[in-house]
Amino acid sequence: MASNKGASLSRRDFFKASGLAVGGGLLGGLAPSVAKAAVPDSKWESHFSACDMCFNKCGLVARVRDGVVTKLDPNPKFLKSRGMLCARGNAGIAQLYDPDRLKHPLIRVGDRGEGKWQRIPWDEALDMAARKMQEIRKKYTPCGHLFSAGADLQTQFVTRFAEVYGSYNITSHESLCLLSGTRGFLDTFGEVPFADVLNSRYVIMAGANRFEALVTPDSMDLMTAMKDGCKLVVLDPRFTKTAALAHEWHPIRPGTDMIFMLALMHIIIGEKLFDPEWIAEKTSGIEKLTEHVRQYTPQAAADQCGIPREDIVRIARELAEAAPRSMVYPGRRTSDYENSTQIRRSFALVNALLGNWDRPGGLLAARQVGLKGVPYDPPWYDENPDDRVDAHKVPGMFEHEGSFVITRDAVLKGEPYPIKGWFVYKTNPLVNAPNRKKSIEMAKAMEFMTVVDITMSDTAWMADLVLPAPSYLERQDPCSGLQGSVACACVVKRDPVVEPLYKTRPVFDILKSIADRLELGEHFDFSMDEYRDQQLRGLPDAMDALDRDGVYYNPSKVYGIYDGRIYKTTSHKIELYNKRYEQMGQDPMPVYTPPSSVPENHFRLVIGRNAYLTHGSTCNNAMLHELVPENELWLHPSAATKQGIDTGDTVLVSSAVGQGEIKVRVTEKIREDTVYMLTGFGPLSKGLSLIQDSGASIADILEDRFDTISGNASMHETIVSVTRKVPA
Amino acid sequence: MKRKAIIFTGALLLTLAAVSMAFAFGGGNGRKGKFLYRKSCRSCHGKTASDLSPATKTQAEWTALFKDVSKLPCNKEWQGLPDKDLNDIFTYLHDYAKDSPTPAKCS
Repeated sequence: MASNKGASLSRRDFFKASGLAVGGGLLGGLAPSVAKAAVPDSKWESHFSACDMCFNKCGLVARVRDGVVTKLDPNPKFLKSRGMLCARGNAGIAQLYDPDRLKHPLIRVGDRGEGKWQRIPWDEALDMAARKMQEIRKKYTPCGHLFSAGADLQTQFVTRFAEVYGSYNITSHESLCLLSGTRGFLDTFGEVPFADVLNSRYVIMAGANRFEALVTPDSMDLMTAMKDGCKLVVLDPRFTKTAALAHEWHPIRPGTDMIFMLALMHIIIGEKLFDPEWIAEKTSGIEKLTEHVRQYTPQAAADQCGIPREDIVRIARELAEAAPRSMVYPGRRTSDYENSTQIRRSFALVNALLGNWDRPGGLLAARQVGLKGVPYDPPWYDENPDDRVDAHKVPGMFEHEGSFVITRDAVLKGEPYPIKGWFVYKTNPLVNAPNRKKSIEMAKAMEFMTVVDITMSDTAWMADLVLPAPSYLERQDPCSGLQGSVACACVVKRDPVVEPLYKTRPVFDILKSIADRLELGEHFDFSMDEYRDQQLRGLPDAMDALDRDGVYYNPSKVYGIYDGRIYKTTSHKIELYNKRYEQMGQDPMPVYTPPSSVPENHFRLVIGRNAYLTHGSTCNNAMLHELVPENELWLHPSAATKQGIDTGDTVLVSSAVGQGEIKVRVTEKIREDTVYMLTGFGPLSKGLSLIQDSGASIADILEDRFDTISGNASMHETIVSVTRKVPA
Repeated sequence: MKRKAIIFTGALLLTLAAVSMAFAFGGGNGRKGKFLYRKSCRSCHGKTASDLSPATKTQAEWTALFKDVSKLPCNKEWQGLPDKDLNDIFTYLHDYAKDSPTPAKCS
């Protein structure tokens, strides 16, 4: 294990820092340039790290005394999070010291999912993993092994391993999250933007919940922008915290956001509220869009989405008046409907008409971070099939992300070819993917399944071999390049802040060891330090800054990146009309089709987040569990009265694919035709002691549909019944 | 040599025809092309020559570049490569170009 080169604070450092704190100015709501915050006495050590309690990677300072992490503080120099560490970030300690953590390699000895395990030594575990991988490769070709990895700094090693092993079949978590949004914006602007909410004057947030589902710096910057006069309009079937703090909340009928956006375009174009010169110069297809949106009158939209016509007209005018410092916020999780790429295309097109691309208060292009890739040269395997197992089902799948739902169907059918091995790292499809019955069958279809994680997740519970990984506070990771919207383009690194508590191994070490056993060791012939040196080869000052400040900033250009450059689209302009879609047989501009109707006494199930949980990865965290001990079903009072249900009653929520038992919270914060629940409860695993028999799992109830362009899961298409469970 | 050029141009046209009909796939084997690109091109690009990835150029730029490979500085190194390999490399570069549906990520 490498030594930590992070920050050790002397009293002198502390006093210097305090002096700066008094004398410094404020930047975007951030504390001044204080490198190191106060520590009580010299027995304390402080180490920089980057949080791993969600995907944001906020900078932190771990306070360590006698080898024990006692507190996690925000790194005040970390601009992306504006010097903030949220509830989950603070609860990182409870993850490190969670008694439920995996401590030894475990091999399944009972039936799959039965929960009977035997502890085995590491060498035996690695020998077995390598032997099984080799068997599967020989029997089914390398593509007969699937690799699934979540968002993590070491995920790149899973991808690397899969490629050198020879499998194309790699799925990330993103096809259960954001890929349709990525597709929609990429196919409009040629890249996926960052939102400059800090400098915006008017933000429409449709289906996003930035004051609970935190994205740094957007969550903090939006608050700052609102203090400075930015108007926030929220469209959501649920009265979220974001809705509560907004200037306007419109409880939109779920699945109708697209026609709202089309009506905004109807007004903006019809009343010529756009900058004609900018549109002529930067975009392609305004004539066709003008013709297309003529049918989408504000009244037609009002009839569908339930937002009054006059409000739609007013919002369109206000939005255009504030342009280009106004936006429809792109959002993050877009795994909602079967046409979610087209829904997000409609968001993107409104932004295009506002002329906000690459300008203050609008949508920003990716800035230069400067971190380099570390190339590798996988062998070629002639015996492999031509393509991924999930290929050719949707036209716009991302090769490097795949589609979990489509992959799972292929595994269950054994077509176009069998997949019989599965390696999973830090992703939990048994909790996050819709239709859990199918995920269980998928695990059962495997001849060998290996899961690397820090706790016995539901996915680990279904494995043959479970390998314990260190938490983020105990391990060394590669560097990571991040863009924090307008705040920064930066690099972070992670070193152990304490020695590992258990006999855990990072997935890098595990894969390196397996590669050695498979005679693929040449592709993992480096240490983490050497790997980081390669990543930083274009940034000679970065490591010093990382050691000194916990973060390196690249002062790269923020606005005007596209001045004199082409857009990365077919037309090399912003594509209001997408010719590639036309060639694919898809609608070149979004065409509204109404969502399925909700029958009487039934509800559309929507899912989402609060600020305390990152789905299944944090529900069993002792600190966060105190805040959210179980999930509840939000049900509107009028619907509850009809069904004779009160708050606290246990109900059965049933869909076409499954059901779950959950307590009800009767609340006016949800539409009458919609119900809502959090992800991550109702576990299969008996290794998560705090949440046993707590709440229901979305995975049990949601139907497994997917976006027909990107293959992203569609998790708001499920209609459920809710019936009161009579106590026995 | 002339015959080779004709075959290659034909393959290119096939690739382009396929691209115009399909979303991401050209006429060659892009996966094989990725392997060959890593083997044949990255030995210089990224080390002694400029950093290069499919996303460095647009599809039109790759097409233009491959119209006459004899003009490329790499031509000497490419002499031994069969046309099929070149087409596979082209297919990879073209299909993951910066204006393609799925621009390449570095790896």
